[in-house]
Amino acid sequence: MNSTFEQVQAIASDIFGLPAGKITAESSPETIENWDSMQHLNLVLAVEEKFGVQLSPEDIEQMKNIGAVAAVVDKIQSATR
Amino acid sequence: MPIVIQPYLPEHEPAVSEFNQRLRAGGEDENMVFYRSAEPRWIPRKADSRIYNEFFVAVDNGVVRGGYALKTQEFLFPDGQVRSIGYYHHPLSEGIVNKAHAIVGTLLLRDAMQRSPLLYCLGMGGYENPLPQMLVRMGWAHFLVPFFFHVLSPAKFLLQMQPLRTSAARKIAMDMAAFSGGGWVGSKLFQSYRRISAPRVSPFAVREVQEFDGKAQPVWEQGKVTCSLTAVRDVDALKVLYPTSETHLTRIEVERGGATVGWAVVGERRKDAKYGNLRVGSVVDCFAIPGEWLSVVRGATDTLQKQNFDLILTNQSHREWDQAFRKTGYLSGPSNFLFAASKPLAALLDPFDQTKTRMHFTRADGDGLPKNF
Repeated sequence: MNSTFEQVQAIASDIFGLPAGKITAESSPETIENWDSMQHLNLVLAVEEKFGVQLSPEDIEQMKNIGAVAAVVDKIQSATR
Repeated sequence: MPIVIQPYLPEHEPAVSEFNQRLRAGGEDENMVFYRSAEPRWIPRKADSRIYNEFFVAVDNGVVRGGYALKTQEFLFPDGQVRSIGYYHHPLSEGIVNKAHAIVGTLLLRDAMQRSPLLYCLGMGGYENPLPQMLVRMGWAHFLVPFFFHVLSPAKFLLQMQPLRTSAARKIAMDMAAFSGGGWVGSKLFQSYRRISAPRVSPFAVREVQEFDGKAQPVWEQGKVTCSLTAVRDVDALKVLYPTSETHLTRIEVERGGATVGWAVVGERRKDAKYGNLRVGSVVDCFAIPGEWLSVVRGATDTLQKQNFDLILTNQSHREWDQAFRKTGYLSGPSNFLFAASKPLAALLDPFDQTKTRMHFTRADGDGLPKNF
């Protein structure tokens, strides 16, 4: 099974229209051209759908790059196990 | 420190001023600014308020990165219950000029949804704008609130109406129609036909009032049964929404046989380049007992006509008001005035497609009052 990071990377690849290999843990709105407010919401919704989680405003606030998105998902999943 | 969304306090005002300066420096429209004062001028919250407007700001290490306004108001629902719901308006994020803050827009909306799960948005300028796109993506229920206009000065309308003058050929045709009187004749004939073909309305009287009083209460009690969803428009709510201090609004009561059967609020819209120098009036709000929609629309229209407006605009979602405006000679036009309901709100309005035809939303339910309606 793919790691959380790899799954988030795949989601980001779909949303931002970039090859997965170009998306790193450090990728952020400042390095991905079309990561704007709308695409950020799309990322939040896609992560919620894929992992079956509900992200709080505090979680969303931490999602400043792809690595942080994966970390937030891991944190929520480990808290609910 | 994380971004914290919190009530807008006077100590945030300098940071909001700097936020507004960054938006302007980023090339945003000079009207795209957040409220300079932490205290809302429009229906600020008081101890016993049932209707109030509040501001919230997104603060990142003392720097304001965005903000939004939330109006709380009581609404009557299809199940007969009255619930307080939220109206999310004027969201503004630094993400529009700096992608480093792209998360702020989502944070603001999610924060409002946490504070007020029964949340709606209204207006928004059409589906192509970022906020409605976000709401649609989040699965909010939505529809366009129909738009109506009534031309009182057809020749001036043809000369001034910028949205219609989109090509050189159209401009020439409209100028010719205006000067030849063809436009006036055509428009008047059509609107007169609509009015003549409308059902006859037995005599009624229109009375201008300084403030709505107890006579408006039976109108609410009898009229609310025709609505699936409406803001509570009892006399106490009307006094808050249309206080005597708002002197630019005209309040009318429509009477028949000595009893008040409906009311309307009308006024002049703010100047807008797309209407040239036309004087544009608006039927801001209205309510009536069942069967009296037409007399109220006629009363409101006659009031604006006497005030020498060139054009009247209105948005009306309820099918009975829709029909009454059409029968009074109003024409429908493309609407960019959207209603959107959060999932928890839409769940109380199920089946939404049927319920929406009896929802009563007007421009008064938007963010335009007191002056930008």
